[in-house]
Amino acid sequence: MSAAAAESPAGAAPGRLLGAARRARPLLRALASIALAFLLTAMLIMIAGKNPFTAYYHLVAGAFGSWDRIIVGLNKTTPYLLCATGIALCFRGNVINIGAEGQIAIGGLAASAVALAAGGWPAWMVLPLAIAAGALGGASWAGVSAAIRITRGVHEVLVTLLMNFIALLLVAEALHGKLGEEGAGFPQSPMFDQAVWLPKLVSGTDLHSGILLAVLAALAANFLLWRTTLGFRWRLVGASLPAARYAGVSPGRTVFGLMAAAGALAGLAGAIECLGVHYRLIEGFSAGFGFNAVAIALMGALNPLYVLPSALFFGFLETGALAMQRQVGVPSSLVLVIQGLTMVFVLCAIGRSGGEKV
Amino acid sequence: MDPAVLADFLAASVRIATPLLLAALGGILSERAGTFAVGLEGQMLVGAFCGVIGTHFMASVGMGLAASATGGMLLALVVAIATVKFHTEHMVSGLAVNILALGLTSFMLRAMVGGGQAPVIRVATLEASPVPYLSDLPLVGTLLFRQPPLTYLAFLMIVPMALFLFRTRAGLTLRAVGENPHAAFAAGANPARVRLVAIVAGGGFAGLAGAVLSLQQVGTFTDGMTSGRGYLALAAIIVGRWMPAGTMVACLVFGAAEALSLRVQAFNLPISSYVIQMLPYLAALTVLAGLGRSARLPAAIGQPFRPG
Repeated sequence: MSAAAAESPAGAAPGRLLGAARRARPLLRALASIALAFLLTAMLIMIAGKNPFTAYYHLVAGAFGSWDRIIVGLNKTTPYLLCATGIALCFRGNVINIGAEGQIAIGGLAASAVALAAGGWPAWMVLPLAIAAGALGGASWAGVSAAIRITRGVHEVLVTLLMNFIALLLVAEALHGKLGEEGAGFPQSPMFDQAVWLPKLVSGTDLHSGILLAVLAALAANFLLWRTTLGFRWRLVGASLPAARYAGVSPGRTVFGLMAAAGALAGLAGAIECLGVHYRLIEGFSAGFGFNAVAIALMGALNPLYVLPSALFFGFLETGALAMQRQVGVPSSLVLVIQGLTMVFVLCAIGRSGGEKV
Repeated sequence: MDPAVLADFLAASVRIATPLLLAALGGILSERAGTFAVGLEGQMLVGAFCGVIGTHFMASVGMGLAASATGGMLLALVVAIATVKFHTEHMVSGLAVNILALGLTSFMLRAMVGGGQAPVIRVATLEASPVPYLSDLPLVGTLLFRQPPLTYLAFLMIVPMALFLFRTRAGLTLRAVGENPHAAFAAGANPARVRLVAIVAGGGFAGLAGAVLSLQQVGTFTDGMTSGRGYLALAAIIVGRWMPAGTMVACLVFGAAEALSLRVQAFNLPISSYVIQMLPYLAALTVLAGLGRSARLPAAIGQPFRPG
């Protein structure tokens, strides 16, 4: 692991240079991948008969052009940051958890159920309760996957992938049954009581306080990962299973802890989406978040601190693309192309360097 | 039960199972050689898209089908190069390519033909081609011998696929690479090349599976029209334990489950359609968890091969 290399005594100048190069590598890798992705998509824009420079100008202007746009971008960043932080932790421990999609869905479902059920209770109680329910829901959903993974030795990717679909169908089932709003014409729950809406960070704007929670979560995860024994155990299991066993670290317990932590973060993201953005549970509210979060975690070199800019990039990219579609007529699905390509390039760069993560 | 209702239900099951089966057969090739086929979803989507575009612009269904297979193979090539040459994590690469496919097809549809808007390209769907005499049999006649061409292809491919995998030298090499690439390498095979070819060939099948949706069933392309069928095919491979015949049974059961979920009201079933739709995924989980480590996954699946 290069974290160890970075901390090794770098007395001689070449050693220090090497250390600096190693630290700069994830940044270079991310930037090069993004640049390549944008270059390739520029060709697509030209195929569409548009000028890529104009398109990209409107992309940037649409993302940062006004306070309103920035606020939309920050709100979009929130679920990405939460989920990607959890995924980064998991991947560090060599747990390939791609179940964020379902964990968000269950988190949103649990939070919505609490918000709707506890209508008469005082708001200061219901909101924290709903948020906690979201985190708990995500964590237990991930916990089920982890339990199957640990007790039955089934690859966690297959389990989490299958669990995603079951989670989405559970949400659909709830919305067409107990939680659904009658006569809405769309699978959604009734709107929550205004008292349980997530408070705004800046009153009078749409900026909800979820981004604060997300940044705190990323910072906490960073501290846990690099500065605590627990984080060391996670990294140890990821770096070498035999070494971890020899050191007395239980791989099963580590996998379970990692998955539960990531599930809690994803569940929190789901709760925030429902309580702070839609003010209700709607079908498909989690679509694509979980998979994009994998890209964000990889681009952030699986380091919670780097995941922060990475998530911001994806959040603002999406708001910018919507503006680009309106202004220049370049379809906003270009974002998916950029995301997919970036992911492929980052993966290739990581693979080329022998699977070393940082 | 009314025979007409039953016949309709069985026909729907076969119809829904067909794209799953074609994609799953492609997935078996890729997974038997040691690469998880998470990219099936994207390959199907690209196949569906290329099929419609090819048929529309070249005014020939044959060209459309060729375009479908080619599109699936091209996308599979991306996965193949990433996983084989750059040793990327299989699952995440597959996901990445699926996101890429979703974006590319949606973008190209608008950019190439729609002028920024989402166009609806209508193409004639592939007609059922009845087998003479046999199609006049009661019940089974319509079900088995009055199907569109890709359905015959999907179900007829089972036998050659099984023969190829288990009775030919090339099939043995392919499985050896999936079980123990180093041993295969020592025996003179080229694991990297075998995996590359297997993934790309699998992509051809998945592309045709997409054509089943767009050219044979719907007659147009819509954004994300595969809606998770690639992942369902992945689950069918697991339930079928990486065997062509078993996978076919799994696909048919999954097809029946979905056909049933669409008929909950007509059949007066006491459970909701969403619970029925969970069955395929629950079945896959049960098989995986029930068999545990003895699930007989190809032993070296998901592991990069580095010679030496």
